[in-house]
Amino acid sequence: MKILVSWLREYVDVPGTPEDIARTMSVRGFAVEGIEPAGDGDAVIDFEITANRPDCMSVVGMAREIATAYGLQVRRPAVRGRDTSSPVDPTAKPSLSLASLQPGGEDDVSITIESPDLCPRYAGALADVTVGPSPAWMQERLAAAGVRPISNIVDVTNYVLLELGQPMHAFDLSRLSGGRIVVRQARAGERLVTLDGQDRELTAGMLVIADATQPVAVAGVMGGAASEVHAGTTTILLESAYFHPLSVRRTSKKLGLKTEASMRFERGCDPRLPVTAMERACALLEMTGAGRARGTVVDCYPTRVEPTSLRLRRSRVAGVLGAELHDSDVRRILDSLGFALRDAEDGWDVTVPTRRVDVVREIDLIEEVARHYGLDNLPVAFPPVSIASAGFDPRARRARQLRNVLTGLGFSEAVTFGFISEAAAAPFAAEGDPVPIANPLSETFAVLRPSALPGLIDAVAHNRRRQVRDIRLFEIGAEFGRTSGERRTIACAWTGAATAEHWGGGARDVDFFDMKGVAEVICQALGLSPRVETVTRPWLVPGRAAALIVGDREVGVVGQLSPTIADRHGVPANEAVYVTTIALDTAEALVPAGDVQVESLPRFPSIVRDVSILVDDTLAAGTIRETVRTTAPTLLESVREFDRYQGKGIPEGKVSLSFHLTFRSAERTLTDADVQPAMDAVLGALRDRHAAVQR
Amino acid sequence: MPESTLDRSAVDALRAQFDRRLADASTDQSLKAVTDEFLSRKSGAVTALMKALGGLPPESRREFGALINELKTSIETQLADKRAALEQSRPPAGAVDVTLPARSMPVGRVHPLMRVRQQVEDIFARMGYEILEGPEVEDDFHNFEALNMPPDHPARDMQDTLYLGEPIIGGTWGAHRAHTPAARRADGLASGIPAAQVRAATLLRTHTSAMQIRYMKTFRPPVRIIVPGRVYRRDNLDLSHTPMFQQIEGLVVGPGITLAHLKGTFEALLTEIFGDVRIRLRPSFFPYTEPSAEIDISCGNCKGSGCPTCKHTGWIEILGSGMVHPAVFEAVGYDPEEVTGFAFGVGIERLAMLKYGVDDIRLFYENDLRFLSQFPI
Ligand SMILES: [Zn+2]
Repeated sequence: MKILVSWLREYVDVPGTPEDIARTMSVRGFAVEGIEPAGDGDAVIDFEITANRPDCMSVVGMAREIATAYGLQVRRPAVRGRDTSSPVDPTAKPSLSLASLQPGGEDDVSITIESPDLCPRYAGALADVTVGPSPAWMQERLAAAGVRPISNIVDVTNYVLLELGQPMHAFDLSRLSGGRIVVRQARAGERLVTLDGQDRELTAGMLVIADATQPVAVAGVMGGAASEVHAGTTTILLESAYFHPLSVRRTSKKLGLKTEASMRFERGCDPRLPVTAMERACALLEMTGAGRARGTVVDCYPTRVEPTSLRLRRSRVAGVLGAELHDSDVRRILDSLGFALRDAEDGWDVTVPTRRVDVVREIDLIEEVARHYGLDNLPVAFPPVSIASAGFDPRARRARQLRNVLTGLGFSEAVTFGFISEAAAAPFAAEGDPVPIANPLSETFAVLRPSALPGLIDAVAHNRRRQVRDIRLFEIGAEFGRTSGERRTIACAWTGAATAEHWGGGARDVDFFDMKGVAEVICQALGLSPRVETVTRPWLVPGRAAALIVGDREVGVVGQLSPTIADRHGVPANEAVYVTTIALDTAEALVPAGDVQVESLPRFPSIVRDVSILVDDTLAAGTIRETVRTTAPTLLESVREFDRYQGKGIPEGKVSLSFHLTFRSAERTLTDADVQPAMDAVLGALRDRHAAVQR
Repeated sequence: MPESTLDRSAVDALRAQFDRRLADASTDQSLKAVTDEFLSRKSGAVTALMKALGGLPPESRREFGALINELKTSIETQLADKRAALEQSRPPAGAVDVTLPARSMPVGRVHPLMRVRQQVEDIFARMGYEILEGPEVEDDFHNFEALNMPPDHPARDMQDTLYLGEPIIGGTWGAHRAHTPAARRADGLASGIPAAQVRAATLLRTHTSAMQIRYMKTFRPPVRIIVPGRVYRRDNLDLSHTPMFQQIEGLVVGPGITLAHLKGTFEALLTEIFGDVRIRLRPSFFPYTEPSAEIDISCGNCKGSGCPTCKHTGWIEILGSGMVHPAVFEAVGYDPEEVTGFAFGVGIERLAMLKYGVDDIRLFYENDLRFLSQFPI
């Protein structure tokens, strides 16, 4: 809300510079967006008015707040000439003593309210006018507030809107069929060309102002073009009404049309203001020579809106603010803001002015007191602790642990958006499984991500384009699907060096087994030791993809990203990107409960035997390992591949595999004689089951 | 004195010349050259001086003879010292050139937003808060209605929401509130940890406050929690907006909790994060708190005198807070006559931008390693 300081000063004698005023008001709930000089030492202050304070979307409204802040009085708007000398109590009833508004009868406009729940009050008056430009001072004030001057009539209505906060509208009476006003809901099929030239379809439930035959304005939002005041207009009908906030809000939303009027009505105007505003508008018409009201103000006000009364308890003020305030402070502040106080046994009964739509319960009054008492003047204390804290959510703790592990492995943490494009999501989810966003910002953010990988690959591509070649990134976050809902995941991507270039040699790029190692460390950190099986995924290179499985549950996947997908994200297709994802929720459910129980350390030395065999190269090492394990279960401590060789000296279709077999007993030192039977059994089983030939 | 080419200045000059040569000699080879230059029997400069002695009258001969001898001895000693020093500085067998680059040990970085998040979490954990996580997709009741924002509430415009095309199951949340048996009975819970799931989420949460509702619906007061996490709003990407950002919201409820406690809490938090700053509360409006306040810190850039960082006000807005609105307590079944509380929400990006001098919020979401690597390990 942009307000000219000189305009404010017509209502309150506030001292100091615009900067002083801005500083004072910003700690009373009115943040200042900016101050612009407006010539002659004048300035425009742009106050930010929060959604709960429609009463301050006006010069008078802000003047009231400033008066309270500075301990001053507010003057009321002049209704006779530019007389601004008499200070008044803003809560007093408006005077209806305009000479030009004598009750007449014949010249009065006929108003019918068919929907009193949506329009509790509608005041109308007629005026004879000569349309032309408004005076320069008025145009300047409107312009300072960001409102374009149009004509002396429209400018007067806008002036009153800015000054008092009451939206008004002027119709050309000759364009109103039957010269009458009907406030009703729109009928199916009705249309209206609004002032902005748009032909709009009205739907049932929208409140309209109609003449005898058709809608002439969308109530509280915008007038119609046909009944607009124009150069040849001689008689106008002025509207000053109170519309139900929700009705205006819904209509404005449905039409996609926000106006100065609708913004005020939907937040809540003062039901007691329409006639005062009408007086002011008529006075301004006369003052500026634009015209003269005739007849009387017809005030359709079927059910009077009465001010509410709230009990404000002294103890409650102290209980919320943490300070015992003096009664005189409470009284001074509320009084100045226009609340009426009556002493009660434990505090006060407070009458709330009808403009204060935000004050509906005791706590709202406490806020008013706190605001003008000054939050900075309240004491500082520390809240008492009365229960032991449970500390961290295990998932937050787990995320920290994973961060430590992965940064130690050279991975940096990425944070990417939770939504991605449909195309980016497609390879990572079953068809139709990505969850669409109903009102996405753009195609790039169209669906919830079914995997954190697409975002991570984008980050890889971003770095790659900036000549960073060796990239290790991870992200911990949520992913989403129609069938599985929201679940937590960790995703990693690795491209470039596994061992960086060095003068001593040894440089090597990342391969499957590097990433498998990362996946296994993550699982270990989560307390799992999964087995690894071949798997196929549309986003992984066939034959370089594996699932990590615990029991019968898949907890993760590791493999080389499909070059087609890498390329689509902007990573050169010839540069291998390895990825892994681990489902954290699944993993969490599989972790055995309780603390680790240590095993006693071996007391006797082990014996290591090496075995080299020739087998079909399609046979998985895991299968052989399993055979070894099941054949020599008691003494065999571990079995581990240490060499795999194909090529010279090895027949086509075969592979040479070498294992270390470690044997140990918990009771004694083993001898060759103890181990030999186990070795014989192992070799026999390998021969029988896998046609293995010992080398 | 007789006419002679030999005088003191010639000796001094030779001494100076030697000092320069010796200083420059840093190898065996150059040291040998210096030795020859001055001491060679045939062509050494000192030898030449010695030879010139013969042409002097006897009385001067004695005097200059002593001088030259002294020079010679000094040169010999210095050469021997330097030779020994060179010998000493030769690397021992098996020595490596330690100035060659190391093999790189790649260590990643924690994302700066998470660094800040962890710092804030730790401070609150020390103050006795429980740190909770919740689902990113929510339903309308928990995100809006229970927070005093019924449908059509104008305040919903403040948080332009992203809606889902169809409802989905949201993530789980589990509060891990430390339970004494008595507290457990008061909460009406047989065991300590209920796990719950959002059954039909229809929107991306616009704040993490929804968890406050879930927590209060599950547990009796007192409450002392923070909920960090990602939140979403329909904002286009620019210097200071992203459609997804990180927030930490908190809630303290109990008998006798006041606005003074809110002030004390944030004085402690913000001075720990930003060092020696002053804090200021400005009344504001949030539907779920009353009174509401924005909390500002004094601008560290200009020390309060006004600069572009603080829009010439001397203050920087940090977070929103306020006393929990009684309507929120009523929505979760707490009696606002029995308990009061305060709530707050802080944007992690905002803290990180101020703390690390980042002027473009998008940097946090590009994951550029040249940016990430600037943060300490
Ligand atoms: Zn500054």
